[in-house]
Amino acid sequence: MPNHTRTIPPLRTLCTAVCLALGLGAATSAQAEDPVRIGAIYIMSGSPSVYGQFAQQGMQLAVDEINESGGILGRDVEFVLEDSQIKADAAIQAARKLVYSEQVHALMGLDSSGVATGVVPVVPELQRPFIITHAATPDVTGKLCNRYTYRLSVNISQNTKAAAEIAEQTGAKRWTTIGPDYAFGHQSWEFFGNYLQELDPEVELMERTAFPRFGNEDFTPFINNVMDAEPDGVLISLWGGDLVNFIRQANNLGFFDQDFEVLMTLGGATEVMSALGTDMPEGIWVGTRYWFAAHDNEVNNAFVSAYMDRYGKPPSYNAQGAYTGIQAYKAAIEKAGSTDPEAITDALSGLTFQAPNGELTFRAGDHQAVVGPTWGQTAALSEDYGVRMLDPMKTFDGDLVTPDVSETGCSL
Amino acid sequence: MQSFIAALLNSLDIALLLFVIAVGLNIIFGVLNVINFAHGALYMLGAYFAYTAMGLLGLSFWVALVVAPLLVAVVAIAIERLMLRMVYDRHITDSLLLTFALLLIIDESVRMIWGPSIQVVDPPALLTGTFSVFGVNYPVYGLFVIAVGIAMMLGLWLLFTRTRLGRIVRAAALDREMAQTLGINVPMVITGVFAFGAWIAAVGGVVAAPMRAIGPAMGEKIIIESFIVVVIGGLGSFPGTLLGALVLGFIHGFGGRFLPEINLVLPYIGMALVLLIKPQGLMGKGASA
Repeated sequence: MPNHTRTIPPLRTLCTAVCLALGLGAATSAQAEDPVRIGAIYIMSGSPSVYGQFAQQGMQLAVDEINESGGILGRDVEFVLEDSQIKADAAIQAARKLVYSEQVHALMGLDSSGVATGVVPVVPELQRPFIITHAATPDVTGKLCNRYTYRLSVNISQNTKAAAEIAEQTGAKRWTTIGPDYAFGHQSWEFFGNYLQELDPEVELMERTAFPRFGNEDFTPFINNVMDAEPDGVLISLWGGDLVNFIRQANNLGFFDQDFEVLMTLGGATEVMSALGTDMPEGIWVGTRYWFAAHDNEVNNAFVSAYMDRYGKPPSYNAQGAYTGIQAYKAAIEKAGSTDPEAITDALSGLTFQAPNGELTFRAGDHQAVVGPTWGQTAALSEDYGVRMLDPMKTFDGDLVTPDVSETGCSL
Repeated sequence: MQSFIAALLNSLDIALLLFVIAVGLNIIFGVLNVINFAHGALYMLGAYFAYTAMGLLGLSFWVALVVAPLLVAVVAIAIERLMLRMVYDRHITDSLLLTFALLLIIDESVRMIWGPSIQVVDPPALLTGTFSVFGVNYPVYGLFVIAVGIAMMLGLWLLFTRTRLGRIVRAAALDREMAQTLGINVPMVITGVFAFGAWIAAVGGVVAAPMRAIGPAMGEKIIIESFIVVVIGGLGSFPGTLLGALVLGFIHGFGGRFLPEINLVLPYIGMALVLLIKPQGLMGKGASA
């Protein structure tokens, strides 16, 4: 650089900007035939890794379908998968790696509320759109919300609102809970209690609750504790391996033969249902973010049959979430007409597209998809699917269970 | 009163399973001077071999209880002969790193072979249902776990105090060179002890399988608990392991029932208190070999 440029910084800045712009232009035109790259962060290790495997299968299915039918804007799409290790710092590392060394256009993933609350505040510095497909804490589309972060899956407030409506219909008055001892379990109880008392002011939320640690092995003391309290209803927000352990031990203790109502907010997860088979008690209310047999539409029928053909089991909610995440990016990139991360981010706001669980819209106000869970009572075991089916079954309309933006604490 | 009895039985059931896992860890430390991080992974292998025998091959639980631990012992012999042997004369941290690597390798292998899904196996018909103890209905299987723990405890005590083999092992633990001079084949003893410790862990895994979900990384949870047991009881102490397991079992059994809001931190508070009062653990090394 000649010396005189130092005396005229504006000129240098301008020059740099022009050079950069030219360089960028050259780069993008050179890359026009390069694939669209999506970075995904799911739990691939440790006990909940079954969730990551489902996500991977869902993404693979979506990517293959899209590439077979002409890609996105004529380009192939591919995904790069990183392990979150269910730790916030590992997930942040993974996100940085995906953006800076893998050069992805967009990010998706996250299986745990604890991880999501750590990652979401870091997303703006990465300047990439981020679609959350599983983590359910309201905070990421609430007080932690930001321009880049979206969520397509059902969050805690949507699911517990539905749970409260079902709880109110059972007529049970004294409620307690068993949930994992971290944000998810405590927030599930808090939101459920608030919604239920709105619907029925006479409801009593008991002091005696049980919050075993995540990954607890023996739930017998907690089960006995709740049975001793003689509630009318119990909300259970345990999930994954914890829920499988809990149900088998509860069966042993006659927990489901007591005369209280049982609601499991994540009991309708296929990985739990298929692990348990007929050990899953009959006639209890279970919820799930997505139930493969709840949506009779073209997109869902094609998705479920393709998934069954390829993997031999019905798609879990995490498979559907990840599949839908890729589809959401396809819709957003086509709407934006480019793979520029900022343009994709803007295109996602207010975007409506066809997902297996119906038409989804990302609200402009907080970037939460307006979507509702499916709840049902466990019924006979299906030979075809290897899980108990749900009957009666009720899919909640997103408009009815999604709180108003003003209540979320999000300001964009 | 009834809830007290239920909590008591439950504490014993948790404690004795923990004892079975932690005692192998402690025996291996006592003889090999290796803190075996892979111990939890061997426990997990026991559970997965049982799942393969029962869930996939349709064999009975009792067959699995015999076969699975023996297979794990074979794996352990390979580990000791091919890898651990290389690090005995190095600093203890090297064996810690090696066994930690083994834990990761076994975890990942399990995921590749059996997949990450949660698996379950049912208890044998003989051990299903509940049994009334002082008016408390308690799962029969829980009582079986307590019985296995007590049998293991008595068996080990008799083995180490009443048999020639037990004396040889203790001799090798106390003074390798002297034992070697007296004609004891020390490398063979060491291989045997490592395989035996792994066998005990695998018995724990098979016994745990019907009441807990089987999944990858199930060994990581139990190894942390076992370390807490060993820290509370004292490294290298057999009665200490029992005491530590009972302390932790009672923390879980009574804490989960009567103090559910702080159950998460109770084990660590217990550990911290013991370390403050007796840094060697309640029955630290030297109290008994």
